[in-house]
Amino acid sequence: MSIQFKTIVELRAMLDSKQISAAELMQESLGLAKKHEELNCFITMNEEQALKKASAINLDEKTTSNLLGIPLAQKDLFCTEGLRTTCSSKILSNFIPPYTATAVKNLEDAGSVTIGKTNMDEFAMGSSNETSFFGSVHNPWKKEYVPGGSSGGSAAAVAAGIVPAATGTDTGGSIRQPAAHCGITGLKPTYGRVSRWGMIAFASSLDQAGPLARTSEDCAILLNAMSGFDSKDTTSLNIEVPDFLENINKPINGIRIGIIKEFNLADLDSKVQERFEESKKTYEKLGARFVEVSLPNISASVPTYYSIAPAECSSNLSRFDGVRFGYRAENTDDLNDLYIKSRSEGFGDEVKRRILIGTYALSAGYYDAYYKKAQQVRRLIKEDFEHAFESVDLLMTPTSPNTAFKFGSKGTQNPVELYLEDLFTISSNLAGIPAISIPHGLVNSLPAGLQLIGNFLREDQLLNAAHIFQKNSDFHHLKPDLEESQ
Amino acid sequence: MDQETVRTICYLARLDIDQSKSGKIQKDLERIIDLIGELQRINTSDVEPLYSPLEMTAFMHEDIESSDNKKERFLENAPASNENYFLVPRVVE
Repeated sequence: MSIQFKTIVELRAMLDSKQISAAELMQESLGLAKKHEELNCFITMNEEQALKKASAINLDEKTTSNLLGIPLAQKDLFCTEGLRTTCSSKILSNFIPPYTATAVKNLEDAGSVTIGKTNMDEFAMGSSNETSFFGSVHNPWKKEYVPGGSSGGSAAAVAAGIVPAATGTDTGGSIRQPAAHCGITGLKPTYGRVSRWGMIAFASSLDQAGPLARTSEDCAILLNAMSGFDSKDTTSLNIEVPDFLENINKPINGIRIGIIKEFNLADLDSKVQERFEESKKTYEKLGARFVEVSLPNISASVPTYYSIAPAECSSNLSRFDGVRFGYRAENTDDLNDLYIKSRSEGFGDEVKRRILIGTYALSAGYYDAYYKKAQQVRRLIKEDFEHAFESVDLLMTPTSPNTAFKFGSKGTQNPVELYLEDLFTISSNLAGIPAISIPHGLVNSLPAGLQLIGNFLREDQLLNAAHIFQKNSDFHHLKPDLEESQ
Repeated sequence: MDQETVRTICYLARLDIDQSKSGKIQKDLERIIDLIGELQRINTSDVEPLYSPLEMTAFMHEDIESSDNKKERFLENAPASNENYFLVPRVVE
């Protein structure tokens, strides 16, 4: 019986009923990764260690963990002890971390097994996976199309059924947008819910780790394991973590869902719009009530983000200097020349662009006009959300204005064109609130995503609403035909 | 944004831009700065900046010595090191 495209819940049942052993499951998963190498989902495989760990798993052992023996893929931005971690950059192409990120460690402590590290946009900067030093990931639905980004390798590996779930990180939509483009489910938790320790930082006040999986139920399983206070992350929330599976089946009758007035959905592609209207009807049938809400400053999210994120990136990426780890240029004249050459040869174009923008925004004379101004607008955006959540439980938008696009067709002439693709996802990072993307049908044979945004710490409501939708629809069962998707 | 400004920012960021790409980079930066410039139309007088979504003070923990010293393993990742130090080109003649 093939394990391809199975969910965690299904694999758990196969393992528990002894239809398959943990070692066999691992071999199958690794075999699928090899079979679909052309998708370029993985940068580094963990074959030997994964098989060793899986072989040692005793399934008769009494455990409450749903993840025991489950193969997972980790975005190559999480440090993994002894396993190369590159952030898809030349500058880290030889980096072997001496420790494991807390989010990954939590998943592994729950019994899951890491099969490999997934490809991504370089340092998570991109929405198409085209900025990876290791080459682009291909969308399993149509191979000449992008998988989305930055967690494109994780999304494609799940969509191709190689692993049931994977980790991702989301700074401006990097979990939700690739989940949408690949037809799977992806959750960005509340800022502070999952530890950032061991995640290679891009924009520290926006970065958050989360799960990508085939269903919201599986996302709940992963979030249960990933979440929790970590004294090593000073922005980790020291609060009790609810069981995200417990209330996932609650009826959603009477739930109030807000539609954001300022997002002019009439401007979108008519088929994307059509999908959105259909999903609205599904929720109405399930007892949801739709309310129009106004978030007057939300259209400023993209410029706000593209001031704050590059500023934090320019600061965070100053640690890559060719001295303590990573790539070092040869034939340098002096220390300053070593810094300049190592960074210039080690970083790709998009990363350089963002470092330069951030350096400019933080430099003397421009700090107030760009960086401080953006942080002031950020507060207004957060207040808009607080106000909206006084009258609704959730907000609903498409995840992305478009479905996946062809390689090289966007942003090559003008990077801003690609930045505008993040319009619907960016604001929840600025406000620190959770959001989920679930598949809601195909547009021209490519998946479209539906985004639900929740109030601070209300991942339970998001997962509940997403799960009820999935119990009443089949979109999450759609699979790409990997032989036909050329 | 002129070429001189681009050169200054590049130096501040310790980045060297390929001459053949400098025109394109300058144009890209101008477009991004124009995008960010849209924020100027929003009135933010009397609005406190929000630097993090969590407006809390970093927590304190007990000052306990831990044995998490992985010096050798950190030095292994260095492009050049000796037993105790990261090595760089000579700074003082």
